[in-house]
Amino acid sequence: MPYTPAAAAPLHVSAALARDRLGVAAVVFFVMSAAAPLTVVAGVVPTGLAVTGLTAMPIAFLAVALVLAVFSVGYVAMARHIANAGAFYAYIARGLGRPLGVGAAWVALAAYNSFQVAAYGGFGAIAAPLLAGWTGAELPWWLIALVAWALTAVLGVRDVAVNGRVLATLLVAEVVLVVVFGAADLTTAGFRPAPAALDPAQLTGAGAGALLVMAVTGFVGFEQSVVFSEESRDPRRTVPRATYVAIALIAGLYAFASWAMVSAAGTGAVARAAAEGPELFFVLAADRLGTVAVHLGHALFLTSLIAAMISFHNIISRYAFALGREGVLPRAFGRTVPATGAPKNGSLVQSAFGLAVIVAYAVLGGDPLVQLFFWGGTAGGLGVLLLITVTSAAVIAYFARRARLENVWRRLLAPSAATVLLAGMTTLTIRHLATVLGVAPTSPLTWALPGAYLMLTGLGVAWALTLRRTRPAVYEGIGRGARSSRIFTFGFDATGAGR
Amino acid sequence: MPPIPAPLADDLFLAAHDSVHGRCLLSPAILGLGLGGAVLAELVLGQRLDVRGDHLALLDDRPTGDVASAAVLGHIIRDADRGVRDWIAYLGGGIAPDLVGRRLARTGQVRRLARRSFFGTKLITEPVDSVASGRPGTRVRVAAERREPLPRTDLTLAGLIFATGLDQYALATVGTAGRKHLLDLLRRRLPEPLQRLLGHAEAAVGEAVLARRA
Repeated sequence: MPYTPAAAAPLHVSAALARDRLGVAAVVFFVMSAAAPLTVVAGVVPTGLAVTGLTAMPIAFLAVALVLAVFSVGYVAMARHIANAGAFYAYIARGLGRPLGVGAAWVALAAYNSFQVAAYGGFGAIAAPLLAGWTGAELPWWLIALVAWALTAVLGVRDVAVNGRVLATLLVAEVVLVVVFGAADLTTAGFRPAPAALDPAQLTGAGAGALLVMAVTGFVGFEQSVVFSEESRDPRRTVPRATYVAIALIAGLYAFASWAMVSAAGTGAVARAAAEGPELFFVLAADRLGTVAVHLGHALFLTSLIAAMISFHNIISRYAFALGREGVLPRAFGRTVPATGAPKNGSLVQSAFGLAVIVAYAVLGGDPLVQLFFWGGTAGGLGVLLLITVTSAAVIAYFARRARLENVWRRLLAPSAATVLLAGMTTLTIRHLATVLGVAPTSPLTWALPGAYLMLTGLGVAWALTLRRTRPAVYEGIGRGARSSRIFTFGFDATGAGR
Repeated sequence: MPPIPAPLADDLFLAAHDSVHGRCLLSPAILGLGLGGAVLAELVLGQRLDVRGDHLALLDDRPTGDVASAAVLGHIIRDADRGVRDWIAYLGGGIAPDLVGRRLARTGQVRRLARRSFFGTKLITEPVDSVASGRPGTRVRVAAERREPLPRTDLTLAGLIFATGLDQYALATVGTAGRKHLLDLLRRRLPEPLQRLLGHAEAAVGEAVLARRA
């Protein structure tokens, strides 16, 4: 028979599987592109200065990085043992019970969607004056936001690999730009190292809650590293290392850039941040780098926002996909575009929601920068902070019943320390929510926002209890993600089939 | 020893291709996972393998009459202690598509050609005869429409069509009752090892989607 199968070459199964799996660098890349560094440095940092009146942003980044690193010890350990590790609700369902898990799923969908629409508002508001400067065309913010929305919607159902390559290229450009601009700040005439920016004592005042939640916003995306728990070469090493490396790199980049910015702006840093907004980052370095660099910076700022949109869109559509597979959301959400593997209906519904929010803001005349970008980002940040806090407690509860699986540092000590610290941060944020949002202490927003998350949690719990009564098989499968079968009623044990 | 039935993976490959243009309807990763599951299912149908929980169990190590499934059986004999999901991932990563492509080429059902583009050369395997390539999908569709039973191999094919999401094309014209009929057959008529295997294939596709490598 003149036929020789290619598979005849005895390639060892483990070696073949490892060859196709991801290494540390690939996971770090993925995580950092979701974090969209330039959006944070140019968009979040000046806003943080202006809203809180504090220059302690750099130390807030470092402090949050430390807390998240301690949190990640238990988080990545639990990720090895559960299905659908990319979703906070899976941890909470397995650790603290399925009803709270569904509550967390609703909160997560709300929080990530709020980042998503925040990015649309920010993009429109920030791009409008830039486009006017470049081309002379005065376009309304919502028209520009709709263009970004359309791009995200199309990429959402298109080939996912293309998205990854686009994001990676943008990420490298952004990081280089942030480092170069930060370095330029160091050489400006007004540069004086700002000691307050690195003073931990600054993190105890009334504005500290705001600083911390904004810093958390900057790290959102780091939690996605565990998506690759099963896809990495060595699940016990690759994902933990990638997570710590990503947190350290993000923290270093943000702390350096914000410290350079605060130091270069001198004593008027807070006032300038309030007056110049996102421009502050570019204006400070413009002295040294000239206008071409600033134009390049502006362009990358916009692409960074687009990268953030794409990342959040992908996270949301996959949350919906996993919930659809489980039957917690309608099963139609468990469908994909077969030719691209994109979660079809999750993506389409997210796009519909984004469109509705842009249209509503345009019709009602909402302020895209403050009421959409800033409030949306802060609401999302609070939601993710709540999720991380509860997840940290879920890690303790999960391992309390499975003490053999991990050592005491990973299953108890680190998660306990992280839970205490995170609970402290959450409390500070909620107590000072008026400062966080930059509204009057009597504003209804200060109770409406935590109230909304509380209500979503309650609705999720109620839905889970309904499922337990009416569809026990679906209830059993909560948190199993893609391991819940659409065809058969059985599910698979979540402990990594075959490994 | 019962003969190995008509190659299931070949049928899945043909069903996964657009019968008009010969284009593949599935992403390469999802097609690979489907074909990996299909070749394993051939060995289960031929009573060489059993699926027990998450693992494969070897029932009979005599080679099958067919090169593709024999090659896969050889792999499994050499490295027996592995989970079903590892095997699906391993075979799906290029081995199963290659074996199935060659098997179909030998019987003249597909042509393999190198297509050059700006980014390099790609090996494409496409069905030769659009009428013949439409048959496997049609058998499943007709059974669904007429609420008829399906032989075990075609029922497994129907399961793989659901597991890969191909039902959106292959069963596009079939109403809810027809789809329900197929799902009902899968749940009640298919032996448990094959149900387990299909469940693993479906989970493998779903997790590929979640991990963004579908």
